[in-house]
Amino acid sequence: MTTAQFIQNVLNGVSIGSVYAIFALGYTLVFSILGIINFAHGAVFTLGAYFTYTLAVGQFGINGLLSGLNLDLQVPFALSLLIGAVLAGLVGVLLERLAFKPLRTRGADSLLALVSSLGVALVIVNAIQYLVGAEIYTFPSQVYGDIKPAIMFEVSGQPVVVRTVQVIIFAVCMVILTLLGYVISFTRIGKALQAVAENQTTASLLGISVDRIILVTFFMSGFLGGLAGTLVGTSFGIAGPYFGVTYGLKGLAVIVLGGLGSIPGAVLGGIVIGLAEAFVPPDYSAYKEAVAFAFLFIVLLVRPQGLLGRSLSQKV
Amino acid sequence: MNDFLQNNGFLIVTMVQQALLAMSLYYPLMSGQLSLASPGFYALGGYVAAIIGTVEFFAPWRDTLGWVIFPLEWLAAGIISGFLAVLVGIPALRLRGIYLALATIAFVEILRVICLNLEITGGAIGIFGVPQLFESRWSYIWTFGPLLILMLFFSYRLDHSRVGRAFKAIREDELAADAMGINPTRYKVLAFVIGAVLAGVVGAMSAPFLNTWNARQGTFDASIAYLAYVLIGGSRSMWGPLLGGTLLAALPEILRPLKDSRLIINGLVLVFSSIYMPQGIAGALGHLRSFTARTLGFVRSEK
Repeated sequence: MTTAQFIQNVLNGVSIGSVYAIFALGYTLVFSILGIINFAHGAVFTLGAYFTYTLAVGQFGINGLLSGLNLDLQVPFALSLLIGAVLAGLVGVLLERLAFKPLRTRGADSLLALVSSLGVALVIVNAIQYLVGAEIYTFPSQVYGDIKPAIMFEVSGQPVVVRTVQVIIFAVCMVILTLLGYVISFTRIGKALQAVAENQTTASLLGISVDRIILVTFFMSGFLGGLAGTLVGTSFGIAGPYFGVTYGLKGLAVIVLGGLGSIPGAVLGGIVIGLAEAFVPPDYSAYKEAVAFAFLFIVLLVRPQGLLGRSLSQKV
Repeated sequence: MNDFLQNNGFLIVTMVQQALLAMSLYYPLMSGQLSLASPGFYALGGYVAAIIGTVEFFAPWRDTLGWVIFPLEWLAAGIISGFLAVLVGIPALRLRGIYLALATIAFVEILRVICLNLEITGGAIGIFGVPQLFESRWSYIWTFGPLLILMLFFSYRLDHSRVGRAFKAIREDELAADAMGINPTRYKVLAFVIGAVLAGVVGAMSAPFLNTWNARQGTFDASIAYLAYVLIGGSRSMWGPLLGGTLLAALPEILRPLKDSRLIINGLVLVFSSIYMPQGIAGALGHLRSFTARTLGFVRSEK
């Protein structure tokens, strides 16, 4: 591998890895508070991409209830991205109220949360298909403004090509991660969130409204998921209502690698898996999809608490 | 009657098949282990049958043995699945709860990607023209049906056996079970292997039934579907997976008049049944039975 190829792979890996990171943070936030995995997170990811597409482009194809519809809202892309993510966040809130809260108040087996969140995922995915069909939607190539499609530079005489979209995605992810880090570490609501994650009963005794924090968490989780969906959509297109499923599963690998419930862990895990996928030799690219799961399996067997997680305590 | 079977035979056999797959997830759950590995072993079993049924190497066997090759396929699938289950299970079953679930999801996905890329499994296209055991779809009830009855009998016996009690003891409290002299690892691996062997055999029966086999047979979606069967049917008795598997497998067909929106309704059913029937259908029926018995005065109220 030449230096140029190496740098190319690193750049590709870090870019997709940063998307994995913000997506996986959505899982981790919910897990750190409720100790459950939200299986509808992949569907929220998909939904975010569709929301943004509706706002920014709004042209639908020949299938589904809304076939032939041309909204032509022409909302500026940056705003669409933001509104799409906010809408996805609200879907997250709705999800918590519909699928998680009723189970919590009834004290049901936590396994049932897997089934009910999956039920919501089914509803979301099939509602999308019902409305706009299963076809591929792509954002126009100039969605980020009038910029060059790729940046080229040379390393020891060999060209390195980076798609501009990937640079933008990376930049957006970094901004979001910084903001999230700030919110969680330095604001009242962030500190309350940490307290609830540490111990719900104590937090509520200290006057923190646990229910409100849970809602905020689901909003942030949906926001991050929806944002990640749009970013992937601008890079690779929206490949139908099911395109979140793969990311949904990879996100699980990311959070386990980083340590379930650990926020820095999710970021590190995302970058590591992004890089690992980028470094799969072209001859074996068909096995690229398995890399994240190989990581997941091995990490669980060798270090179940993940890279940055706390060690698992045994019940005594 | 014949018309009915001709039209609905495929659905009825599918219901039985899904109930069997739900049971394959029920055995690990009986010992408290949330394993979602069944679709992996199901896919593996199907590939074993499809390969034995189509590859040139086995042609002389097929010619001399005739239909006897089919039971041998089931046997081979069961043995291979069981062997792999021991290999995967011993390290993986040190994990608990959601960690084990995630590890088994990873196992299913890794297996799927491997099958998608190997030549012998037909790559992305899969294996076509798997030889049929029967002419009509409905006739496959003669393979799946007896297997289901066998497994129900087995589960009933298991419930009241030393092994079954050990499973439940581990489910209720692993540490206490260990202190009572039950070796948790051994029994957990045993429960995992029973489920895997069943899923493998069902896969081997399904490849001729479906005529074709590909990597879409063992996916994450299937993992969650089987889990839904067991939890919505009821995870505390063998009737749970039976009820959940048959009813949920039939649900999309029952909802067919709703056309495109049927899968949306299907999702809603999952959400509402997990909220309103936390003990599953079997649990809800149990409550109903004790409720009617109490109100009709057959038994005195427990309180």
